[in-house]
Amino acid sequence: MKKIALLVVAAGILVFNSCKKEGCTDPEALNYSDKAKTDNGTCQYEEVQETGKVTLMLAHYWVNETMDFSLNMQYVHPETGDSLTFTTFKYFVSNIKLKKEDGTWWTQPESYYLVNLDEAEGAQLVLSGVPVGNYTGISYVMGVDSTRNVSGAQTGALSTTSGMFWSWNTGYIMVKAEGTSPQAGMGGAFTYHLGGFSGNNNIVTTKTAAFGTESLNVTTTSTGMIHLGVDPSRLFTTTGSVSNVGMVHMPGQNAVTMATDFYNSGVSFKYIHN
Amino acid sequence: MRFIIILCLLQVLTACKKTLITPVLPLLSFYQPVDFPEPVYPLAQNPVTREKFELGRLLFYSPVLSLDNTISCATCHAQTHLFADHNVAVSSGVGGLTGTRNAPPVFNMAWQPHFMWDGGVNHLEMFSIAPITNPVEMNETMLNVINKLNASDYWKKQFKAAFGTDQITDQQLFRALTQYMLMIVSDGSHYDKVKRGQASFTADQQAGYNLFLQKCASCHKEPLFTDYSFRNNGLDEISADDGRYLITQLESDKGRFKVPTLRNVLLTYPYMHDGRFFTIDQVLEHYSSGVKSHTNLDPSLQNGIPLTADEKKYLKRFLETLNDYELMSKMELSEP
Repeated sequence: MKKIALLVVAAGILVFNSCKKEGCTDPEALNYSDKAKTDNGTCQYEEVQETGKVTLMLAHYWVNETMDFSLNMQYVHPETGDSLTFTTFKYFVSNIKLKKEDGTWWTQPESYYLVNLDEAEGAQLVLSGVPVGNYTGISYVMGVDSTRNVSGAQTGALSTTSGMFWSWNTGYIMVKAEGTSPQAGMGGAFTYHLGGFSGNNNIVTTKTAAFGTESLNVTTTSTGMIHLGVDPSRLFTTTGSVSNVGMVHMPGQNAVTMATDFYNSGVSFKYIHN
Repeated sequence: MRFIIILCLLQVLTACKKTLITPVLPLLSFYQPVDFPEPVYPLAQNPVTREKFELGRLLFYSPVLSLDNTISCATCHAQTHLFADHNVAVSSGVGGLTGTRNAPPVFNMAWQPHFMWDGGVNHLEMFSIAPITNPVEMNETMLNVINKLNASDYWKKQFKAAFGTDQITDQQLFRALTQYMLMIVSDGSHYDKVKRGQASFTADQQAGYNLFLQKCASCHKEPLFTDYSFRNNGLDEISADDGRYLITQLESDKGRFKVPTLRNVLLTYPYMHDGRFFTIDQVLEHYSSGVKSHTNLDPSLQNGIPLTADEKKYLKRFLETLNDYELMSKMELSEP
C-alpha cells in the first residue's frame, strides 16, 4: 500500500513537472518555444538592423520642367502640334533597388507601385525598411517584370481591381494613358493601354541612375528623397500625332514604341536631397 | 497496481497535449489520377483545403460575380453538361448578349498549360477574370465584384472561414475558384476503367480505339486527349475568327485554335470554336472530306483523314467510352 502511494505521488510530480518545461518564452526570439513555460535566459535574437525611410518623388511635367502636368488640362505637343487633354494617367514602377556605398545593393521586397495621377498630383512612393547607411544610386523597373505576369493572382499594387490588367490576354497594362484631342480620329479620344512582357513585345525597362557627388544618408529618422521627373509628352516621340496612332489596347509594336520612348526619355533621375 | 502505473503514465503522456479540435468538414486534398501526368498548376502556391474548395464551389454557383446578379459560372458551365454550356453554339451573357465562341468544358484544368480557344490566358488563377469582365458574359469589373463581396456579411463570413482574413481580395477570389476547378477531374469514363484493368472494350470499341490511335491520337493525345497545341484544322479558307493570331499577332497563327480534349466529347456538343457542328457525324465528315485549304492548315490534315462508313462507326463506339457519367453526378461538385 505504501509503495502504491509513493508511486502515485511520483507520477503526480511527473505530471506536474512535464508542463514546467524551461526554454525561451519570448515569441519575438528566433528560438522561441511554445512548449516552454519558464524562461531560462537562452533566447536568441536576430541582429537588429536599423532602418529608415526614403521617399521616391515623382514630379510630372509637360515637356519643360517648369510646366507641371496634371489631368484634365489641355497641353499642346511641341513636336506634333496636337492639343491633348489627359483624363487618365497610370503606370507601374517596380523592383526598386538602392546602391550602397560599398557597391552592394539593397533590394526592396515586394516592390510594386501603381502611380495614379487621379489620386495625387506628384506621386510619392514611400520606401520603408531601408537599412541605415549611405546610398549612391538607384535601380528601378518601369513596368511589371515577366514573372508576375505569369504567376497567377497577385495582391497589393498588382491586384486586378485597379483595372490595369488584360483579362483575355493575360498580363498587366503597364501604362494607361487616356484622354481627348481634337486631332484624334473617331470621337476625338485617345486610348493607350501599353503592356507586354515577352519576346519582341516586351516593354519592361530597367533604369539605373547614380546620385552623383552627394550620397543619400539613411538614418532611423532621416527623410531623404529621390526625385524623378516624368514627362508624358515623350509617349509621342516616335509615333507622332494622335492622328497616326490613337488607340493601343494590346501588346505589340505600337505598345513597344510608345512605352519605350516614354520610359527611356520621359522618365529620368533628377536629384536627391537628404 | 499495474493499472495505476499505466494510468499515471497515461496522464504524464497526455499532460501537455492541446485539445484536438475535430474538423467540421472532412479533409480534402488534390486528386491526382495515377495515369495522368503531374499537374501544370503550381499546387504549392494554393494548397487545396476543404474550406477554400467549398468557398470556390459557392462562388462558382453564385450570380454575385455578374453585373446584374443573373449569371454564374455554372450558367454556362453546367455539371449536367460536363461543365460546358447546355448544347448551344455560343453562350448568352448579361442582357442576353452572345459571344462568338463555344464555351469549353471546365474539367482537368490542373493539366492545362493555357486557357481559352486561343490560349490567351496563361494561368488557371487568371482564368475567371475573363468571363467576369467580358461585356458579353458577366460584364462586371473586378473592383465592383470585390466591393460587393466586402459589403456582404455572408461573403465576409465565407471568405474568413477559408482564408482567415476580414478583407476579401481578388487573389482570394481567384484562388478559391481555382480550387473548385482543380477538383473537377474527369477520369471516370469506361476508357479509364479499361486502362486500369477494371473493364474491357467490346470488339467495336477496340476497333475504334485502334483507329483513334492511328488517325487522331497525335493531336488528341492520351490520357488528356489533347496535346494543347494550336492548329488550323481547315474549317474555312478565310477565318472569321483569327484565333491564336489575336494573341500572338503572327500570320502563321491565323485560324489556329487549341486542340480540344475528346473526353466527354459526345456529351459536350456542339463542336469547334464557334459551335458550328452539332453532331459528331458532321465532325467526322469534316475530317474525312470537308477540310479546306489554308496557308496555316495543319500538315497532318493536308489530305484530310479519309474514313469509311465502318471506320466512322467504330470511332463513335470508342468515343462513347470517353463519357464520364461519374463526374456528371458527383455530389461534391454539385450546386451547394
